Amino acid sequence: MHPDRTASLTFTGELDTVSTPVAWTALETELAGSNVSRLEVDLRQLASCDSAGLALLYYISMGRMTPGATVALAGLNPELQPLLASFSTEDFEALQEHEPVCPSFVDEVGTATWSWLTDLRQQVEFIGEVTRGVITGLLHPRQMRWKEVLRIFETAGVNALPVVSLLTFLVGMVIAFESAQPLAELGAQVFVANTLGLVMSRELGPVMAAIMLASRSGSAFAAELGTMKVNEELNALKTMGLSSVQFLVVQRVVAGILLTPVLTIFAMYAGLVGGIPVLLGLGFPLRVVLNQIEISLHFGDLAEGLSKSIVFGAIVSSVSCLRGLQTGEGPRAVGESTTRSVVSSILLIIIADVIIAAVTYNLRK
Amino acid sequence: MSEPAKILIEARDLTVGYGDRLILEQINFQVHRGEVFAILGASGAGKSTLLKHLIGLHEPMQGDVLISGESLVQAEGEERLRILRKFGVLYQGGALFGSLTAVENVRLPLDEFTDLSELAKDLIALSKLRLVGLEAAATKLPADLSGGMQKRAAIARAIVMDPCVLFLDEPSAGLDPITSAGLDALIRELARGLGITFVMVTHELASIYAVADRVVVLDPKTRRIVAEGAPLWLREHATQPWVRQFLNRGVA
Repeated sequence: MHPDRTASLTFTGELDTVSTPVAWTALETELAGSNVSRLEVDLRQLASCDSAGLALLYYISMGRMTPGATVALAGLNPELQPLLASFSTEDFEALQEHEPVCPSFVDEVGTATWSWLTDLRQQVEFIGEVTRGVITGLLHPRQMRWKEVLRIFETAGVNALPVVSLLTFLVGMVIAFESAQPLAELGAQVFVANTLGLVMSRELGPVMAAIMLASRSGSAFAAELGTMKVNEELNALKTMGLSSVQFLVVQRVVAGILLTPVLTIFAMYAGLVGGIPVLLGLGFPLRVVLNQIEISLHFGDLAEGLSKSIVFGAIVSSVSCLRGLQTGEGPRAVGESTTRSVVSSILLIIIADVIIAAVTYNLRK
Repeated sequence: MSEPAKILIEARDLTVGYGDRLILEQINFQVHRGEVFAILGASGAGKSTLLKHLIGLHEPMQGDVLISGESLVQAEGEERLRILRKFGVLYQGGALFGSLTAVENVRLPLDEFTDLSELAKDLIALSKLRLVGLEAAATKLPADLSGGMQKRAAIARAIVMDPCVLFLDEPSAGLDPITSAGLDALIRELARGLGITFVMVTHELASIYAVADRVVVLDPKTRRIVAEGAPLWLREHATQPWVRQFLNRGVA
């Protein structure tokens, strides 16, 4: 720095995205509190300069590193002048001033309540529309697209059998292991088979099958219908005078109602088969195990499990389709509706399960 | 300082396709530094396929793509990344990230590939948005921008790392004629003002006559380049009648 508080700065070599951050920090440290009144920046020896370098030069030229000083740039390549001219302090300040609008607590509560009520209304309307569609389809079977029902039955049902069977087989083993110890303390280890039979037929068979249906096929329904909405295929149906519920949803709901009991039967059997090796390992002969299961299981238990599965199938398929049809706009919309379909389905399965359990308990009394 | 090489991109004996399906064969052309080069052809001629091979999204069946004399096909790892950073790409739909604002979209490559301060990154991103005339829409989400504005924001993102070449895939697709003409003007401005080389795939003749210095025409029947030259010259002098007819569509 000269005695008249004039300083000169010479740039050499390349000023790019690699060298600029280093130069920026070094200059800020060097010039901080330097009390310069005029800064002369010599750029004649600058071999190359990209946008990062120009950002630094702009920042210096605006006097941000030397407050109060006049800054003069000399020797900048004329080709870079238009790029340097594109930098703007006003744009930067406008960006800094921009703060995302943060809704108040009352706004948020109001919006959430309104959204919940709207969703509830849509669900009620949807249930009515689906019920009417299913009844119409059953009364006029020729109007039903049975090929589509079969395709969904295969992809959502038959193709899901291995994974549902494996899952419930393993759950059956876990239940057998976990119940063996407490029942052994009571001297009733043989009743592990009875427990397993009741649990798998009344509760876990239908629930596990429904949860697998929700996570595997329900999410696929929501994603498929959501993508169709994003691609304006649903609008195309509407303009052709076709109901998206009648054309797309009813088939899925009918397939869901038909396939869930089948999946549930497989789940029940796989769970029982999973528990048998554990019981054999505990020293019970196969004949005794099968006998205990036979004694404990009644037709009512199977009927309860299967009736639950029909309700669960209707819930999963219709809720998933509803979430698909409710898909919004933007790239995240399909993902969001898929997530909502799985969460809503599982929640409603459990709620329905509690209601059915309470009803059947009172009926058995 | 040495003079940069005149040839920036070279397709050398390029044969491309998907699986066993051959789309184009023996494609040869050179793109010179600073020019606006267009790849032209009817629907299904393989324009977008060729572009995808030029930017390294797919491996060619045969041949090579050279960017500043370096092979993109043979390059691997860091070397390939270094070559990829030499160019930017504008996809048909803009491909802006919907959850980020315009300025955040433009800043993204700087966030990922540089150690610049937040302030420097904001300054650079805003300067690019100003270059494309979108400084007032910096804080808007892509969903709040019109189709033309989305394309402009995508161009700003594509040039934020100072590429020497910009590939454009159907830049006018889905735009009305006025917005499309505005985009053409921007391309011309960036090419003339900043010296960016453009390689564009399009079948919009108005855009080609407005911005392109040179074009190659792809023939879906022979799967080869059938004509190469300045668009106005080709319109009158192309050897194949269908090329002349193609280039004369809509010309009174």
